Amino acid sequence: MIFRATIEIVLVATLAGMIGVHIVMRRLSFFTMALTHATFPGVVAASIIGVNLLLGGIATGAVIALGVAALSRRRGQNAAAATGVLLSGGFALGAALIATQSGFSRDLSSFLVGSILTVSDQDLLITAGVLVIVGAVLLLCARPLLFTGFDPAGARAAGLAVGAWDVVLLLTIQVVVVTVVPAVGTILALSLIVAPAAAARLWTDRLPLLTTLAMLLAVASGLAGLAVSAQWNVAAGASISLSATLALLVSWALRKAVS
Amino acid sequence: MELRYTGVSLGYQGKKALIDVEIRLKAGQRLALVGPNGAGKSTLIKSMLGQSEILGGTAIIPPRDVIGYVPQSGDLDPDFPVSVQQVVMMGRYRSLGWWRPVRKADRQAVAEALDQVGLTDKARNRFGTLSGGQRQRVLLARAIVAQPQLLLLDEPFNGVDAVSQDAIVTVLRDLSAAGTALVLSTHDLAVARDLADLICLLNGRQFAVGTPGETLTASSLRPVYAHRALDLADGRLVLVDP
Repeated sequence: MIFRATIEIVLVATLAGMIGVHIVMRRLSFFTMALTHATFPGVVAASIIGVNLLLGGIATGAVIALGVAALSRRRGQNAAAATGVLLSGGFALGAALIATQSGFSRDLSSFLVGSILTVSDQDLLITAGVLVIVGAVLLLCARPLLFTGFDPAGARAAGLAVGAWDVVLLLTIQVVVVTVVPAVGTILALSLIVAPAAAARLWTDRLPLLTTLAMLLAVASGLAGLAVSAQWNVAAGASISLSATLALLVSWALRKAVS
Repeated sequence: MELRYTGVSLGYQGKKALIDVEIRLKAGQRLALVGPNGAGKSTLIKSMLGQSEILGGTAIIPPRDVIGYVPQSGDLDPDFPVSVQQVVMMGRYRSLGWWRPVRKADRQAVAEALDQVGLTDKARNRFGTLSGGQRQRVLLARAIVAQPQLLLLDEPFNGVDAVSQDAIVTVLRDLSAAGTALVLSTHDLAVARDLADLICLLNGRQFAVGTPGETLTASSLRPVYAHRALDLADGRLVLVDP
């Protein structure tokens, strides 16, 4: 059980660090927070009707990602406000769906804080597959994603379809979120995705190094959290999340001390 | 290269923002768009990039792949982790595509463009660590590496120090001498007079187009800046708040 959990956290954390860099660079942390919560009703619905949780999360997350992308392109629309509403609305819908099922409420915590110790071989295969796909997307699309993230107006003038590339990134984030949520939970996923990348950003401006460092910090946080969980019987999702937060705080303190 | 607008109206979502545009620009000419905020300068530039709507008249615009664009550096996130070299290389993405490896010729072009704007020694610095004027020069270098026939610049002298302004003006003159047509928007009448062959006065509509001598006169400018009194002092143009 602990072996599978170790493999899963290495895969999930690598994914989280990889996409976290794009989230931090583009200041999409709040959107990602909303996405983790909006994924919740899809995961619950999938559980109720007995289909793969990943599919349920992808379905609702895709709707949210596309909705936010559309909103952010409309003049006069407050995308941040809409994202905030989606955050609480999505979470409320998930809670309401759980309440309709008698005897279901005790499983709520597994959605909220994850259940990495119960991953199956099939989960590992899915996570590995997602890691390969997301890695390939980010590598092959590195140039347009960099250009559209840094200078949307310049990229648009250079002939890039900025809206389409935004959607590619948002959907990629969403796929990662849905993959990470079963391991560390709806509430805690954000810290594993954002904290290592934010910590790495304190140490380097170079994108390849930043990405490598973010992945290493995420994996280290994941493994440390899992070890703490096994040693002291703490919920794994919570200890992983706390480890990632600690990595950010220590980086911040060290950076302050160095400069 | 030819850019020609005949009786053109421009706007967004069917609503007109600028009317009566009549301009004609040939290779190597420099056109300055002059007018107050909200006059339609950016709308006119965006129309050349296909980002605002042509709602009437006839516009002949060069193909997109020969047009370069220099945005305002102040619109970009200074914390974005991207080096000066990477920013300039973005100008080669159109020829490189998504994934083709960077060639020796691309690196050479980037080095030459940085040399042209006087920032060779900043190549490895993070873009956001440069001054506003230096950032504007980097964005100019990015446009240069794509070797455009028509270069559009949105307020290139906003928040730019004197050294950078001189460097930008020199590069723009060199580009123009090499045959690149330039369209730039500016609030600075002195720069417009110094740099441009043609001036287009705008404020919701085109008021005049012609040489600086024909257009930068009190009688031409007064209706464009209707909310301000205009005076001439020692042969210079002065805009005075009412």
